[in-house]
Amino acid sequence: MSIRRIGVLLWKELSKGSRNFIFIMALVVPVVISLLLALLFGTFFSDRAKLGIVDEGSSQIPARAAAMEALIVREFDNASELKEAVSRGAVDIGMVLPEGFDDRVAAREPAEVAGYIWGESGLDSRAILVTSILALFRDVAGYEPPVEIVTTTLGEAQALPWEDRLLPFILLMAVMIGGVMVPAASLAQERQDRTLVALTITPTTLGDVLTAKGIIGVLVAATMSVVTLALNRAFGGDAVLLIGALVLGSIMAVIFGLLLGVMTKDINTLFGTIKAMGLILYAPAFIFMFPEIPQWIARLFPTYYIIGPVIEITQMGAGLEEVLPELIILVVLILALIAVTAYAARRKSEAAA
Amino acid sequence: MNREMLAAVIRKDLVLWFKNRFFAVVTVLALVAYAGIYYLLPSEIDETLEIGIFAPVAASALAAPLEEEGVLLQEYASELALKEAVIEGEVPVGVRFPDDLLSALALGERPLVDVYLSADLPQEFSDLYPILVEEWVALMAGTSMPVEFNEEILGVDKAGSLTPTRDRMLPLLAVFVLMVEVLGLSSLISEEVTTGTIQALLITPLSTEGLFTAKGIFGVGFAFIQVTLLMLVTGGLIKEPLLILVILLVSAVMVTGIAFLLASASKDMMSAMWKGMLALLILAIPAMNVLLPGLTSDWIKVIPSFYMVDAVHQVINFDASWGAVWTNLLILAAFAAVFLALGVFALRRKFR
Repeated sequence: MSIRRIGVLLWKELSKGSRNFIFIMALVVPVVISLLLALLFGTFFSDRAKLGIVDEGSSQIPARAAAMEALIVREFDNASELKEAVSRGAVDIGMVLPEGFDDRVAAREPAEVAGYIWGESGLDSRAILVTSILALFRDVAGYEPPVEIVTTTLGEAQALPWEDRLLPFILLMAVMIGGVMVPAASLAQERQDRTLVALTITPTTLGDVLTAKGIIGVLVAATMSVVTLALNRAFGGDAVLLIGALVLGSIMAVIFGLLLGVMTKDINTLFGTIKAMGLILYAPAFIFMFPEIPQWIARLFPTYYIIGPVIEITQMGAGLEEVLPELIILVVLILALIAVTAYAARRKSEAAA
Repeated sequence: MNREMLAAVIRKDLVLWFKNRFFAVVTVLALVAYAGIYYLLPSEIDETLEIGIFAPVAASALAAPLEEEGVLLQEYASELALKEAVIEGEVPVGVRFPDDLLSALALGERPLVDVYLSADLPQEFSDLYPILVEEWVALMAGTSMPVEFNEEILGVDKAGSLTPTRDRMLPLLAVFVLMVEVLGLSSLISEEVTTGTIQALLITPLSTEGLFTAKGIFGVGFAFIQVTLLMLVTGGLIKEPLLILVILLVSAVMVTGIAFLLASASKDMMSAMWKGMLALLILAIPAMNVLLPGLTSDWIKVIPSFYMVDAVHQVINFDASWGAVWTNLLILAAFAAVFLALGVFALRRKFR
């Protein structure tokens, strides 16, 4: 294996390969999915009821409503805009506050509020919104609550928000596209175009090619994992340990990608194989999404060791001691995969010769 | 153009499709997976807010009207039983009213009410339930506000019988099935152009018209059969089956036209794939809007798949019939004709 040749191949991969569709996908998909999920879970997938307000005067209600965590509040310029938003379900309930509304209710004078309810809004959302609206009216009018509430939280379980449940999936996707797809597709494409044969009849060995493609894969996968964590506001804990775990995870994904690239004869077969294996590769992330499923099952899948330590470090603040057993398993898996890939590559070279 | 030649080309395309492992796996796996996803999703939507209470009899009797508003009350015999129910996750919230609640309210006092929240409850709901209890008690005390809320319900009032997510998702699944067919057909054609098979076919007695007819029949037929199968398995053909079949057939013609266009603009499978993915993302937006209402506004109507998605959604989830969706069908047919014509024109230019 020659370092100079690997360097030349690396440069070729970076300059030519970076224009490849899969390479671009590896950079774009994690960013787009992270941004999309932030948007969806911030509003659309949220369980929070949506309230639309038109304030024809200068009521305090819009500001007070926006401060309520149970609601997503949107303000509109006029009643027709509000009505249009309600009829397409952008908000569950909309109300038009007339000018001088706060003064009237504070003076206990009768006031009228026009309200629009989206027909497909659930009973629960309506109950939440109507209650909240009443509470806001009372608040502005200066009514004292009729009771004194004492709240107590019972139990130990903590709610796991969907953003957190989906993080392992997005992270695994970033590692898989960058680590598995980039080197595997590049290798399969070279085999299909016969450039691999052309390369290996020069002094360049298959080992040089695999190493160059592997380095690119690790760089892409590790970088995109860090970007994904940062975009999802999850880059936390011991930074050195976290980056170490991400690099190890990326190495495992890359070697698996190289194995697939060595074994498959063309791009079609590669995509078919990855598609067929999708459920197994992503199983740990799916299990993490549903805490009702016994979480030990995830540990039966090799890809768990790519994301498991990272999630423990970022979400549970785990240190080296806690994640060491998983990192050791990850290293063992990497060594086993290197052995299998080297064997498969040798067999392929011998068969080609 | 003779039938035997057309049949031979269609047979060849079918064999080629299933020889491509990616599309063979995706075709079968996707149909099974989509049907699986549909049946895994709940068939009903729980619209109730569940609250456990331990209260004097009179208080629980006053609470009965709340149940019509989507609040489901679960009474417990003791405070301990109520707390255990919250800890065990039977109810997310427990409310303990004092014995003298009504008399205290009548005297204008502010009685103390205990609200027990499950640790599982998301923060936004932890803040909401105390407000809910305050307003509930205000209702009991008869404290009314001098505000008249003139409400108007916009659209069909589905409160209490909301459309389950899986039925909202059905148009999205149909778009995915159709678009996988687009990916497959465009890759197949672009590969045939690259490898020269098309040119080889055209030097046989098969005319260009014959070739397009065969490809068209294959594309439309294959897409239509797949999407019909999905609808059949998921119960999407129970209401107005003929209308749904016509919508799907016109949609299959439209996606075949899109596949021709993509194939004409692609040089190999990879190029057809990424262009197809882009088309898939765009065509899926109207279906996402059905799944997550309020996502977009009127501009969505420029996306051709809107007319298919909206028609299917109206028929399946709102019992619409021919009269309600004929404009959608007409616009969809116009889009289908335009895409097919453009696709054939672009491919013909590429063959030359």
